[in-house]
Amino acid sequence: MSTAAKPPLKRIVLPVFFALIFCFIVLQFVNRPLITNPPVTGEIEAPAQVKAILKKACYDCHSNETNLRWYDKVNPVYHMVAEDVTEGRKGLNFSTWKDLAAPDQKGKLWEAVNQIIAGAMPLKNYTAVHPGAKVSLEDLAVLKKYLSDMVVSKPADTSKTNALDKQYKNWTKETAAQTAPSVSSNGIAYIPDYKNWQVISTTDRVDNGSMRVITGNDIAIKAIKENHINPWPNGTIFAKIGWDKIADVDGNVHTGAFKQVEFMIKDDKKYASTKGWGFARFKTPKLLPYGKTKLFATECVNCHRPESANDFVFTSPVKH
Amino acid sequence: MRSSYLLLPALLLFLVSCSEKHPDGASLINKEASLPAAFNFSKMGLKVITSSINKKQGTMSTLYGNDLALNTAKAGRPAQPGEVLALITWKQKDDDRWFGAKIPGKLQSMEMINTTAAPGAAATVTYKHYDGDQMALNPDTLVNQERIKYIFDQKPSVMP
Repeated sequence: MSTAAKPPLKRIVLPVFFALIFCFIVLQFVNRPLITNPPVTGEIEAPAQVKAILKKACYDCHSNETNLRWYDKVNPVYHMVAEDVTEGRKGLNFSTWKDLAAPDQKGKLWEAVNQIIAGAMPLKNYTAVHPGAKVSLEDLAVLKKYLSDMVVSKPADTSKTNALDKQYKNWTKETAAQTAPSVSSNGIAYIPDYKNWQVISTTDRVDNGSMRVITGNDIAIKAIKENHINPWPNGTIFAKIGWDKIADVDGNVHTGAFKQVEFMIKDDKKYASTKGWGFARFKTPKLLPYGKTKLFATECVNCHRPESANDFVFTSPVKH
Repeated sequence: MRSSYLLLPALLLFLVSCSEKHPDGASLINKEASLPAAFNFSKMGLKVITSSINKKQGTMSTLYGNDLALNTAKAGRPAQPGEVLALITWKQKDDDRWFGAKIPGKLQSMEMINTTAAPGAAATVTYKHYDGDQMALNPDTLVNQERIKYIFDQKPSVMP
């Protein structure tokens, strides 16, 4: 055992240490991102109890009332904080809430609460530093009740029945002559064959008053049969078909007007930037592609993020 | 040695972010809703015709059929020989992955309709009703006619 090989503390360790300190100080002044609080133009209105939870758990990143503590402003943390705030406001901003149409507001709220239930929000690295932002079980119960109370279940109104009748007439007399295929802004074309695929499951959506049937192509069905669904094999395609709900007087609910069909196409290389899945949504019988630019898929990924351990898939398949 | 103390929190953070557990595929299947494998339902290659919910009973059903059954229903024609229809009903359960959604829970019943050619009539209808855990054939025929009518009365869901 030789002690002569020990590096001299003063010659190497100390200069490196001071160099790091110097870099740290410089880092505080260069290239500082700017977090401003733009005006609050149309804030969400909610019962005081609900709003208090949103304020403590969400507002730092999802409003124009970001409250930075001194330790949030120290780089390199500050850079991360700035990115979280920018991204957060883009996805959901309670200060510009009234810019959203009423159904979108509802959708965002249900999604937000589901993100909290799944533990995806508030972000773990945020609550680690701001433990006060954690959503307790009591808080969650308040939020859930708030959402449940918003659900109104009405018997069929004539506008829904009329919408269905009109669609149904056009659909049943439809001939083979189809218009040009609809293509989503990320290049995914509408796949008419989805209705010939086997069924994977169904969903009754209380939150947005819709019903869904999920079908899968042969690769998906084979994967289900063999339990090879985490991850799903490349080539898997799901279609989720969504309709309005129409209830009769006996409490039987049937599918109303066709709202949309959504696709998830698995290709871990081609769609690497969106977690290995290509997303597309075609709305109304005109099959209008959703999303003006291909950035719309970020919205899909963000909502599917709580299912990251399940290959970003919500559906639990039923073997048929 | 001291620098490794600084690395420790970073390493921990890294481990936490990587330690997400991925459940195996079998555990992600909705088992209580799945059909007995012996039924070989998927081999029949039936397609979805429509789906419905019974709020009073807390059940949800999906109606499947072969091409002929779907086309006959779309055209609003009476039953043709060669149709196959299956109505599967589940108890609903809350979707534990989405607050606000209900999905198929326990498998409750399967009703099968086959139509064959009959002299002097449009078609002969055979109706079978399976239920319980093992989807055993239910010998009770009391409501057969009512159920046959219910199934044939289903309007296909619009699927452009």
